[in-house]
Amino acid sequence: MNEPILEVQNLTKRYQSVTAVNNVSFRIYPGEVFGLLGPNGAGKTTTLECMEGLRRPTSGTILVDGLHPIKDRHLVRRVLGVQLQTAALPEMMLVKEAMALICAAHDVQPRQDLLHRFGLDDLKMKQYGTLSTGQKRKLQLALALASSPKIVVLDEPTAGVDVQGRAQLHEEIRALKAVGVTLILATHDMAEAEMLCDRIAILIGGKLATVGTPEQVTAASKAETRITLRTRHGSLLGQGRIEKASFIGKSEGFAHWLCTDTASAVMELLAEAIHADDFVEDLRVERPSLEERFLEMVEGRDAR
Amino acid sequence: MKTVWTQIYIQLRMDARDKGTILVFYLVPLGFYAVMGAVFSSVNPEIKPVLSATMAIFSITMGAVIGLPPALVKLREAGVLRAYQVSGIPGRSTLAGMGISAFLHLALVAVIISVSAPLLFGAQMPQHMGGYLLTLLALLVCSVALGLLIGVVASTQAAAMMISQAVFMPSLMLSGIMFPANLLPAPLEYLGNVFPATHAMRAFHALAYGAHTDFQGSLALGIVFGMAFLAVIASVWKFELTTRVA
Repeated sequence: MNEPILEVQNLTKRYQSVTAVNNVSFRIYPGEVFGLLGPNGAGKTTTLECMEGLRRPTSGTILVDGLHPIKDRHLVRRVLGVQLQTAALPEMMLVKEAMALICAAHDVQPRQDLLHRFGLDDLKMKQYGTLSTGQKRKLQLALALASSPKIVVLDEPTAGVDVQGRAQLHEEIRALKAVGVTLILATHDMAEAEMLCDRIAILIGGKLATVGTPEQVTAASKAETRITLRTRHGSLLGQGRIEKASFIGKSEGFAHWLCTDTASAVMELLAEAIHADDFVEDLRVERPSLEERFLEMVEGRDAR
Repeated sequence: MKTVWTQIYIQLRMDARDKGTILVFYLVPLGFYAVMGAVFSSVNPEIKPVLSATMAIFSITMGAVIGLPPALVKLREAGVLRAYQVSGIPGRSTLAGMGISAFLHLALVAVIISVSAPLLFGAQMPQHMGGYLLTLLALLVCSVALGLLIGVVASTQAAAMMISQAVFMPSLMLSGIMFPANLLPAPLEYLGNVFPATHAMRAFHALAYGAHTDFQGSLALGIVFGMAFLAVIASVWKFELTTRVA
């Protein structure tokens, strides 16, 4: 694998008696979309703020493209584009003024191309305070890209954004990934993380609970696979004599079964239907989702 | 430096769109000036000659002390400063941008008053224009720095308003701009020395209008500049302390 573009090593951040982040380590590689997940108060924002140079770690080190976030903050600002979750701009500031100001800070010409790319051309003369949540998010993302950074941090980028706006932002994230930008995505939306992220880290109580691809994280789940099927004569509704699966209920003609050995359970269920001279009309196999795995970990159902 | 100039330019444009800014920097002080100028010029002959100075002190103090602090606190409360910080805009640049734009607004108001008071209310023209402008400059810098200091010290907009009033009202009542300070009880006259407006009024009397006074005009001017220097240092120090990475 390549050298990491961002490395967090043994990061600990304490606020007086509260340990917000406890000995967290992970690496992020160039061009990947890395998801940072966790319940409220898990330490996501603190971890991001340490990366961004907004917080000083109590101990541990962070290197952003080889740079120290605080000592080298002027250089880090050019490498790291940040879309904060709670940040705002002055309400009276026009969209084009916001772009002009941020570009002046990066010593580049105002990036009209970014306003165009994010569909903000027609909003150039609108005041920040009059923009919708989705438009504000787009503008913040455009501003985060003003210095053409190698890494972009997105803290809850789609929070409060409607379905269409969310889809547009997802497309932009994919487009950034396609041109080699590394993205760090903090989100509560598990479906979003599963869909967009190459790897995810889950923080719980300030500690790193797991890190891996969404598939790897989900595969570690202790939750069983759900088999849902419907037969023409309902031969599998409520019959509990299947060895490899257990019947958990029925709804609208569908029988729901849980199993750990999915292939054997499906074969046994199909054999049972054939034996009963029945016909399978619909069959679905659902692995536990990232959300289920996440809840399992957060609620302490995980045996780790 | 480019960031600072861009920020000042944008801040001035935003101010021009902001009704609150127009109200506190222009409409209220100029409205007050129009009413009080008419009243003072008819009922208080002692104030009439120095009406330009008294009304300039009132307007500058009001704009800087009442108008500036809440705007600065709002930037912090809304997360604007954090957004600027991660975008590479230095905090000092924001502080300078707000201070300079407020300075320009208040200087414009002071010029309007200084030019119109002799025409509208028969106020006396300063005998020494250099002394007048120098005192005006000292007062502007000091008041803006004081406004910034209140803005960085106050934790909320409500707290900023309370501190602002605690500075503004005594400045108005004890500095001698409404009536001669020597009419005040001794403790209050002594307390008036805490406020830059008091020393600015003395400097105007001595250096701009050539009045015979029992104080040194240059010393009064020096005190205003000294207060300005201290307020600038204190506001920058407190601002750095508030926004430093912890």
